[in-house]
Amino acid sequence: MARLRVAACLLAGMILAGAMAADGISERANRLHFSSLVIDTHDDTTQRFLDGGFDLAARNPLGSIDIPRMREGGLGAIFFSIWMPSKITGPEAVKRALDQFDAVREEVRKHSNHLVLVTTVEGIQEAHRHGKIAALIGVEGGHMIASDLSVLRVYASLGARYMTLTHSGNAEWADSSTAFPEHNGLTEFGKDVIREMNRLGMIVDISHVSDKTFADVLEISRAPVFASHSDCRAICDAPRNMSDDMIRALGAKGGVIQINYHVGFLSQEFRNAEKAHPEWNKAIALEVRRRCGEREGCQLIEGDRITREYVMRGDLPRVEWTKIIDHIDHAVKIAGIDHVGLGSDFDGANMPFGMEDASKLPKITQALLEKGYSEGDVKKILGENTLRVMAQVERVSHEMNAAN
Amino acid sequence: MRQVRVSLFACVVMAGFLLSQVATGDDIADHAHKLHFSSIVLDTHDDTTQRFFSKSFDIGKRNPDGHIDIPRMREGGMNAIFFSIWIDGRTMGPPAVQKALDQIDAVHENVNKYSKDFAFCRTAEEVRRAHAQGKIAALIGVEGGHMIGNDIRVLRMFGDLGVRYMTLSHFYNDEWADSSTDKPVHNGLTDFGKDIVREMNRQGIMVDISHVSDKTFYDALEVSKAPLIASHSSCRALCNHPRDMSDDMIKALAAKGGVIQINYEKSFIDQAYKDASDKFSGGVVAMMDTLKKECGDNEECLNKKMTEMADKATAEGKLPHVSWERIIEHIDHAAKLAGADHVGLGSDFDGANMPEGMDDCTHLPQITEALMRKGYSDDDIRKILGGNLLRVMEQTERVSREMRAAQ
Repeated sequence: MARLRVAACLLAGMILAGAMAADGISERANRLHFSSLVIDTHDDTTQRFLDGGFDLAARNPLGSIDIPRMREGGLGAIFFSIWMPSKITGPEAVKRALDQFDAVREEVRKHSNHLVLVTTVEGIQEAHRHGKIAALIGVEGGHMIASDLSVLRVYASLGARYMTLTHSGNAEWADSSTAFPEHNGLTEFGKDVIREMNRLGMIVDISHVSDKTFADVLEISRAPVFASHSDCRAICDAPRNMSDDMIRALGAKGGVIQINYHVGFLSQEFRNAEKAHPEWNKAIALEVRRRCGEREGCQLIEGDRITREYVMRGDLPRVEWTKIIDHIDHAVKIAGIDHVGLGSDFDGANMPFGMEDASKLPKITQALLEKGYSEGDVKKILGENTLRVMAQVERVSHEMNAAN
Repeated sequence: MRQVRVSLFACVVMAGFLLSQVATGDDIADHAHKLHFSSIVLDTHDDTTQRFFSKSFDIGKRNPDGHIDIPRMREGGMNAIFFSIWIDGRTMGPPAVQKALDQIDAVHENVNKYSKDFAFCRTAEEVRRAHAQGKIAALIGVEGGHMIGNDIRVLRMFGDLGVRYMTLSHFYNDEWADSSTDKPVHNGLTDFGKDIVREMNRQGIMVDISHVSDKTFYDALEVSKAPLIASHSSCRALCNHPRDMSDDMIKALAAKGGVIQINYEKSFIDQAYKDASDKFSGGVVAMMDTLKKECGDNEECLNKKMTEMADKATAEGKLPHVSWERIIEHIDHAAKLAGADHVGLGSDFDGANMPEGMDDCTHLPQITEALMRKGYSDDDIRKILGGNLLRVMEQTERVSREMRAAQ
């Protein structure tokens, strides 16, 4: 019966794949894509759960993620992000984070015929075998633990499998790439946080952090680390992206850079235009407020929509989805095929043209094959590299706990 | 001839049976010991969690003070314990949530640290399995609805973290439930309070009505689809304290399948002590307030000082002596009133003043022996020691499954 269901799923996938010929996906790419475990390590859809009125099971006209589009795009595992602005700290941040954990867990329970909450490599693989989408949780910002290791452990118990050490602002114990440095990287307590994450089997996520924080992490962490959603500075010189040296060092420690699809991180041209007109960002922010009030999920999605209006008017440059491939290819050239993956930032960023939602993911497989990547290499990028890091993180955790 | 032999044999068997019924004192002690140490002895309320934050306390070692640690639990045959998550009822909102998480983590960390002795349990089945493996079942109860920060999502996360009961209030009213020791402001449970009870049912978290006002109790009884527990309350008929339950309340609790878990605190079990204590310190809430000035937020200090103060006052003759046998009187009263299926043990160890002779959990076998001497059957004793509470847990689990399936 289970095998029948899987077969039916595969069949449905193939039929859908056939229907997507308009996107120019070859039969080979389709076959490869839908037989691979495709993992996305960063999605801000959680905010939409909290807004209310969002149905994950229905095909939504807005945003990038829902079950129908994940199925259509062959997305097999998704990290739902727990996020709030860095300025929210202390107990308030802790309580709000719990609300978001609950939102993800409730949503997964509600759609248990399609989704299953997992925390391990084994869990992801088992979900995949049963034709289910593996749901995981990542905490985007160390400010949410309120400088309290107990809270970190509770998050791990509730299913968090990675934590980004900072968001846009500094945490109490780690500098961000987009704030004035206060700690010279990680504080002593910050180093304890890394050790505890190692022990708990949480992946240390160095997206968002300052270069010095990154260097400190590489030195302290006993397990490989990853960048859950970052791009290459060599192509787009944003502090949120990684320099070639950083990518190389990350790869040398067994880590992975998960490529972010946000236009402001993909395209230097876009970034330059944004910087030249800071008033546009302000205007966009104002309009977002007008449309959404305090609803974070709405804000993220409307931000993407309004930015697109600027592009359509010709104010901001149009960025094509193929830029994603440029970043993947660059990172592969720098660090090797074993050290690159996918971290879209869907539902939390401005998507390039042609990668509006999860249904477009097979285009990445197609493009990589066209570039001459072997099927085995494509599978690594789609998810196997991320699984390897998770497995190593799990091993380090077992070793540390056994030694205790 | 053959018939005679048979009847002679029957006679011998009969005599043996009769002898066992009128066993000597030593036989009872022996039998009680065997019964006690083969039973699941479950205590639904222990404030030991507070001690995990003290550097001088190690639950794995025998401690000179307090009431609970692994060696003493082993010695007293106590093999299932609800660690209580507790902070002062006036700390509310997000700070209360974070402090509660710290305590939940402390329980998990200590259980992990002593995983040879402890098994963390979430279901009655897991408690039974732990017992079969010779481990102490560790469970978590949250003592006060103020710790969810008025947020049903936080309640669910507590449930996911292993919380298996929540006391609806502590000494003070919270945002949605009146306490028995505060001025009523909600007339029992608010509508949101009723939603909390329903959500607890759905999550399989037992509803604990210790500490709550009588009206909150009756509201909870009406709303809850699962039986309720009083995790640590005694009988008002024997000691007229608002924290205790009237006979009517005990009967109503039992009629819905619930259990009253008898509290050993002196001022809840002994009228003379309660009256003297009211005069001496203005009652338990006022006393805690006085001590809080000395101890600040250090809960271990609070419990220690409370005991010291009470012991000193007793030594000076300002407070009367209370014997541990009062506990038996409360158990017996509740059992006679509601039946042996509706009584259990909720010591309040490490959070209250223990009566003389119940200085710590090593004394628990006395309860078994005393009940046996009172004529309680082995079955009834096993129920009181833990079986009743496991039954309520199972019923709560069943209600949870049914509610989730109906969705």
